[in-house]
Amino acid sequence: MKRWLAILLIVCLVTTLFVGCSQPEEISDGTVTITIWHDKEEEVAAVLQTELERLEPDIVVKLERKDGLTEALKLVGNDPKAAPDMYFFAHDKLGVYAEMGILAPISDFIDATALEAYLPMTIEAATYKGEIYQLPLYFETLLYMYNRRYMKDDKVPKTTEELYEYMRKTTVGGHYGFVEQHSTAYYSAGWIHAFGGYIINEEGQPGLDSKETIAALEYHKKFVEYMPSEGEYATVNTLFREAKAHSTIGGPWLVPTIRESGIDLGLAPMPVVNETGKAIAPYSGVQGLHVLKVAAGKKHDAIIKVLQQLTGDEVGIAIAKASGCAPAKLSCYDDPDVAKDLMVMSMYETAQNAVPMPNIPEMDVMWTVTENLLVDINMSGKDVTESAKAAQKKALDLIASMK
Amino acid sequence: MKDAKKVLVLFIVAVLLLLSLSMSVFADDVERIIVYAKVPEDWTEPCVWAWADDGTNAFKAWPGGEMEADENNPGWYYCWIPAETGNVIINANEGEVQTADFKLEAKNAWLIITDADTVEISYETKTTGEIPEYVEKFPVHAKVDENWEDVCIWAWLHPDGTNAYEAWPGKTMKAKDTGWYTVNVPIWVNSIIINANGGEVQTEDLTIDPAEVWVTVDAEGVAEFTYNDPDAPVVDDITVYVKSPADWNEPHLWAWSAPDGTNVFSSWPGEALQDAGDGWLLLEVPGWVNSVIVNGNEGSVQTADLSVDAGKDLWVVVTDAENVAVYYEKPEIPKEPEPTETEPPAETSAPEVTSEPAKEEPEKGGINPLLIAIPAVAAIAGAGVYFSKKKKS
Repeated sequence: MKRWLAILLIVCLVTTLFVGCSQPEEISDGTVTITIWHDKEEEVAAVLQTELERLEPDIVVKLERKDGLTEALKLVGNDPKAAPDMYFFAHDKLGVYAEMGILAPISDFIDATALEAYLPMTIEAATYKGEIYQLPLYFETLLYMYNRRYMKDDKVPKTTEELYEYMRKTTVGGHYGFVEQHSTAYYSAGWIHAFGGYIINEEGQPGLDSKETIAALEYHKKFVEYMPSEGEYATVNTLFREAKAHSTIGGPWLVPTIRESGIDLGLAPMPVVNETGKAIAPYSGVQGLHVLKVAAGKKHDAIIKVLQQLTGDEVGIAIAKASGCAPAKLSCYDDPDVAKDLMVMSMYETAQNAVPMPNIPEMDVMWTVTENLLVDINMSGKDVTESAKAAQKKALDLIASMK
Repeated sequence: MKDAKKVLVLFIVAVLLLLSLSMSVFADDVERIIVYAKVPEDWTEPCVWAWADDGTNAFKAWPGGEMEADENNPGWYYCWIPAETGNVIINANEGEVQTADFKLEAKNAWLIITDADTVEISYETKTTGEIPEYVEKFPVHAKVDENWEDVCIWAWLHPDGTNAYEAWPGKTMKAKDTGWYTVNVPIWVNSIIINANGGEVQTEDLTIDPAEVWVTVDAEGVAEFTYNDPDAPVVDDITVYVKSPADWNEPHLWAWSAPDGTNVFSSWPGEALQDAGDGWLLLEVPGWVNSVIVNGNEGSVQTADLSVDAGKDLWVVVTDAENVAVYYEKPEIPKEPEPTETEPPAETSAPEVTSEPAKEEPEKGGINPLLIAIPAVAAIAGAGVYFSKKKKS
């Protein structure tokens, strides 16, 4: 009797599991609903919504703006009742979520050959441990910006030594030739990359004490001498916005407020480091769509259609026009309006050298360790090599603690 | 003394507010009209004062924009104004004589002023030749040695050599009550010479940005310049009083002005706080300081960035790195009870980061154990860094 009861229970359990696996996509009146979390500005969300409304009535996509999206995903990313089906965000957290096991590779839904039409940098950013977890839509990089009232187009420094000379000549009387967030890891990374150094590599190895990184930090110090010692976000941006700085390196998100301030803004390629022949190579952030595992099975076909809808050129072009973002798909740059957008094309040009922000989990500990190192060097005047070695040790200790 | 400081600060704020109210808010690319005026012979250096219907002024201060003499039309002066600011007064002799205010249509206008009360307005061209182009200008101020008379400016574009004025010694600078000589020069100028005595004495070539600038010249003609008004009101020093945790050795103060980023001290961790008695430490810093950090143990422990009101003495009570109170009057601090031997040792206020990993329990979804460690280590690293270094936003 007990045996039969046990068999019956097993049958019930297995049946339940199979029912779960073969559960039809959430259909009500023949409609599948896909929920996408995002944290984007209205203009971008509106473009996505318009594009995805083309899938109706078969598929209804609900774009939900979510504050604290990354933390929320950590908490409920594997909870079928609470998690969204997809989310739209930058690529740099996908390593964490992949390790958590909450992401499904997009190659489960899209033919890999379709991704050949994308800028290689964006696919690199979307890849973690050999799997592609994001459908890239657009990307952002830092830009070299200048005030055309002070810096004429034909005088924009092409090399870092030209920039240094420009700073020496024009930093006087409360005006600065060039300002940047010199002691912030995100901004310093561009200089480090130009020397062949790195904050952390794909294998999760910190590179703060590599000879290339040390050379970059040592070289960069002389530029810091001609900048305000307090080089944080508000200081740098205010100086540029109030026409007290001739040039800066900043993100595209600053452009609207700079233009509102009446600055005649110029954008130019990043200066090339004379010593290495490589341009300052900032991090890039690639924004795109990710699929959560909780939805991958039960809404597989609908997810395919959503992703396919967003692989068209129209959405990349529309986002570029709506908010000046640089499309991830190469063919979008054939559009005449995109091709004549100075900001978009500047990002496209910078993207040729840009380095995708590391998407590995270990990067989380590197931001603050690197910024401490920069404060030690640029603000406390400590020895570069000793500081770099100490920071490297700290980083290794913290990463070891993870494991 | 404290009341006097308060009054001073209030006065400065009021002055700044008034200045900001009177400033033009018109961008460079607004639609403009030219206002021509033919003024009585005894009207010298005519100016135009203009404002929009909503009260926005075209110029920063009375008497307004200087009118230029039109070389092709003797007796006529002109000035470009934003088309929106059609409410106009023409004045001269440093504002001593003026017309009544009148409203212009949003198109070029020619005014024949017979006297202060008689103005004929025409929108038909009354001058001959081309209407001069609008050229944006910026003010150059110079303070020179008392032996320098008839101060002039010579201005040009380097390196192409285009001169702003026809002949040396250039344009006469107008003496102001403040002791500064002032002139507006075209926006395309990037090089100037201040000279005097008919061009007999002069500075060297000065390369400047096209922005309001103050040039100070000594008797030998050696010049220095700044883009920040040297006569801007100076706020008195303030005193920062601090109570710091007992285990913070040699507490220091780091202070700066945000957002311009001017630091009081040259390097972190700043300057040591001095004993003020009764458990308080103190340090005097410039009155423009609006951001401070208290730190100890050679900067390895610190508060967050504390935004404070400029120009006011401060009392900063630091319980620990995360718990800080700022007062603008000396606070009453109740004495802490002496710990008894039976009481357990007080726990240090551990960073909240310890609660972070608990949010990601592995059983919730088979999460990789590595991931549980990541936020914890990251947070601890962040906290450690936060507590150990100055910065970051």
